[in-house]
Amino acid sequence: MDSKKLEEEIKDFRLREEAASTSQSRREDHGAEHDAELQITCFSEVLNDVTFHFQIIRFPKQIYVWIGCNSAKFGHMYAAAPTRPNNMVSATSILGGSSDNTGSGIARRLVLKTGLNIILACSIPKNNPMLEADAEKLLIQKLISLGYTKSRREGKSL
Amino acid sequence: MSLGATFLPPFPVSHKHLSLPIKGNKTEILISSYEDRFLVIATQIGTMGTILHARKEEGMPINPTFNVSVIFGKRDEQMLEACARQLIEHMSSSGSSKPLVLSLGLKDHSTETLKAIVSAVIDNRLW
Repeated sequence: MDSKKLEEEIKDFRLREEAASTSQSRREDHGAEHDAELQITCFSEVLNDVTFHFQIIRFPKQIYVWIGCNSAKFGHMYAAAPTRPNNMVSATSILGGSSDNTGSGIARRLVLKTGLNIILACSIPKNNPMLEADAEKLLIQKLISLGYTKSRREGKSL
Repeated sequence: MSLGATFLPPFPVSHKHLSLPIKGNKTEILISSYEDRFLVIATQIGTMGTILHARKEEGMPINPTFNVSVIFGKRDEQMLEACARQLIEHMSSSGSSKPLVLSLGLKDHSTETLKAIVSAVIDNRLW
């Protein structure tokens, strides 16, 4: 019990440090092998003079991603998931209206890559496919390095 | 530590993560502050669950009214909406006008659980 409290305090301290850090930071929640385990990854990268901010939260059966483009605006939210019977992906906008679907393509492709339900919040300005492509590239690279993407040999059972 | 020669600003979104048992269920709570929204996630089931959106109505500085709606998930659980309503009111009375996105993935929707979540979030608030 004591070590758990200490762990929590250390985590809290690290959280404050994280908010002030200027580079990639990664937190892993080494909670019990329980169902509810979160892994939070926050990082920023500059590509073609645009600063992208990413926040990736990995739940056991879902991934939440936020993409910020030169700002910390929340943006529009999309939900995407694999649907039966033939592994097609469905995506929908859940916040922000559907006239602008920057990001729904990203959400869709994340489902294909990870096999998990995806909730994506993204504030990339619309009508800018280059920014979308850049953001997606950085994001996918990161997901692969974190091990969240499906490998070839393991299929995702639905 | 910086990436190459480019100066990166500090990560603009602050967040808090805590884990606590509520009625025996391990509950992960994450509070995240963006420029124009707050995001609160409380999960016991390994997914984000039902997602709600709560905001203060414009133009009513005294006795503001609030709009709470479910944007994804269960639409017939009043306790979840009540939880969102409590949080947005607290945010508003603390001086913040940002809307709230609240995600609740809970094993039960009892008053006790939701009260515990509201008080845990308020104790660790970022507003």
